[in-house]
Amino acid sequence: MRAGIWGVVVVAAIVAAAAMWIHRPRAADESADGATYRAPRTADGKPDLNGIWQALNTANFDLQAHPARPALSLLPAPPRGGVPGLVRATPVALPDPAVRAFGAVGGVPAGEGVVVGDEIPYQPWALAKKQENGKDWLKRDPEIKCFMPGVPRATYLPYPFQILQGTNKIVVAYEFAGATRTIHMDTVGDSPSPTWMGWSRGRWDGDSLVVEVTDFNEDTWFDRAGNFHSDALKVTERFTPQSPDHLMYQATIEDSKVFTRPWTIRMPLYRRVESNKQLLEYKCVEFVEELMYGHLGVVDPATGRANK
Amino acid sequence: MSNWRLLAGLVVAAAVSALVATRGPALYSVAAQQPTTGGWVQPKTAWGDPDLQGVWRYEASVPLERPAKFEGRPFLTDEEVSQNQKIEDEQEGQRLAGAEGAAVGRGSIDASPIRGNEYNSFWQDHGRPRQVFKQTSLIIDPPDGRIPYTPETKKAEARAAARYGAGPYESFLDPDTGERCLTDGVTALMWQGPNGGHNRIVQSQGYVTILHEEYLDRRIIPVDGRKSSGIRQWFGNAVGKWDGNTFVVETANFIDRTNYEWAAIFTRPSETLRLTERFTRTGANMMDYRITIDDPTTFARPWTAQIPITRLPDDTQIYEYACHEGNYAMSNLLAGGRIDAAKRQR
Repeated sequence: MRAGIWGVVVVAAIVAAAAMWIHRPRAADESADGATYRAPRTADGKPDLNGIWQALNTANFDLQAHPARPALSLLPAPPRGGVPGLVRATPVALPDPAVRAFGAVGGVPAGEGVVVGDEIPYQPWALAKKQENGKDWLKRDPEIKCFMPGVPRATYLPYPFQILQGTNKIVVAYEFAGATRTIHMDTVGDSPSPTWMGWSRGRWDGDSLVVEVTDFNEDTWFDRAGNFHSDALKVTERFTPQSPDHLMYQATIEDSKVFTRPWTIRMPLYRRVESNKQLLEYKCVEFVEELMYGHLGVVDPATGRANK
Repeated sequence: MSNWRLLAGLVVAAAVSALVATRGPALYSVAAQQPTTGGWVQPKTAWGDPDLQGVWRYEASVPLERPAKFEGRPFLTDEEVSQNQKIEDEQEGQRLAGAEGAAVGRGSIDASPIRGNEYNSFWQDHGRPRQVFKQTSLIIDPPDGRIPYTPETKKAEARAAARYGAGPYESFLDPDTGERCLTDGVTALMWQGPNGGHNRIVQSQGYVTILHEEYLDRRIIPVDGRKSSGIRQWFGNAVGKWDGNTFVVETANFIDRTNYEWAAIFTRPSETLRLTERFTRTGANMMDYRITIDDPTTFARPWTAQIPITRLPDDTQIYEYACHEGNYAMSNLLAGGRIDAAKRQR
């Protein structure tokens, strides 16, 4: 009797496991490139990617898989012997005083990561610099200063962006900092100088919009964890429609000065389906002037007191 | 519009524009302002809207307000037109030869408001000859061709002009909005001229988008009948519609930034500002752009400017105007402000 029950349980478990294997939901980064979905067409017959889109993940905190933690800026780890005056307890990670007042709002949510294979193949010197960047995030991250975010970071900042398909040009308008880039679908000359948002040349590959982005400066980052690149960066993006309301975004990153091989990030982008959704202003220059220049004037507008 | 201006990223944009736009002899002339009669047909987008796409720029030499010497005269005589053409041709030669002090929108070098103009002429884009038109002012209404400031804003205008480039600069709030890399205001977006004045129009179904090179200013204008959100913004909420071949944009819901310093008071928004713009292509390479500014906070009555805009060659690009990212002028201005303050105390 007992054996019979266990036999049923085992068989049921095997069946359930098989069913789960067969119906195993595919992770976002495994989706095929729209092989089964055909995007609607624009009036001139191109795949229609027009709309307001947004990423819904933690890539801007850290492209790689990461556990939750109390803040982006942490105090240096205390000595193993603990904190002087405390006999028993040793803190693991405490928020830096500069961000402590944020409390739970300043925490970093955990994330599964968006890097295919989860490894960013840094050269040894570059890995050390990335770690330094992360530790000194509050001073170094260009996002804090409202600088243009670069590509691919603009895509997965926690702000929407809009794709507007013109005849020979596709505008990608980002809400953050009012950053914009023009994807040239016609033939254009080379970029005359390095840029923050890159020089984008696009083409259609089936339903996918493929964009090669070059001519970056070395001043943008990939995330708040300090992942960075040099002016040798080349990004190859693929925007592939997967359903009426989501795209698969893939970006392959090449930079022989910083990495040992190309690597790829992949994430879904979701349409903002609200009927009244529009891209609003986030002109953050005005928001950071006190931070950047408040201490430089004769008087600090925040305190009304003379600067030294 | 500012004379301090920031030398970092935007220099690249302007200098590159100048290089790209330098293309030999005059392509346009007085004749260009005549509406096209025959030959040219307004092209349409794939979905049937009039097609305004391309890079457009104000390249005329018409002043916004009518100079006193033309009082009562909305148009130049033919002789005056050819005299102006001569001045433009000469100045063009000087600019191309790298002569310092080539005037910006003035009848002569001496009339340039910027002493020597050496700073601005370095990076402003005068690569193409300016076009001469018969209008004596861009403002066509009121009939005197002048901005109808209220008595109060007239004082504010005089105050702004007096402190422009002179300060004092006590904090980051003292430089004008352009020097702070915010904007020079939506009113002047389409006709900045040599100062990053390239504008790319891109049309997608349901939207007309205008990318302005200067300050990376951008407007995404719905034309699909959707209502505006009512959320106040620097550039308000624009709603577009087609009136025949004319693109009409009405914008309201501006935020009030009248407390800031503006290089030109007439471009500053207040909550009562309502803009009406009309874009009408008159030929392959010309647009009749009209803007009506209605803001009882700043003006005694609405006023309208008629502005000829030129379409640049198809391979013209607009470049990245990274202003805030390289705004070394801000810290230098404030350092100068501290030195000035210390001197005053001595």
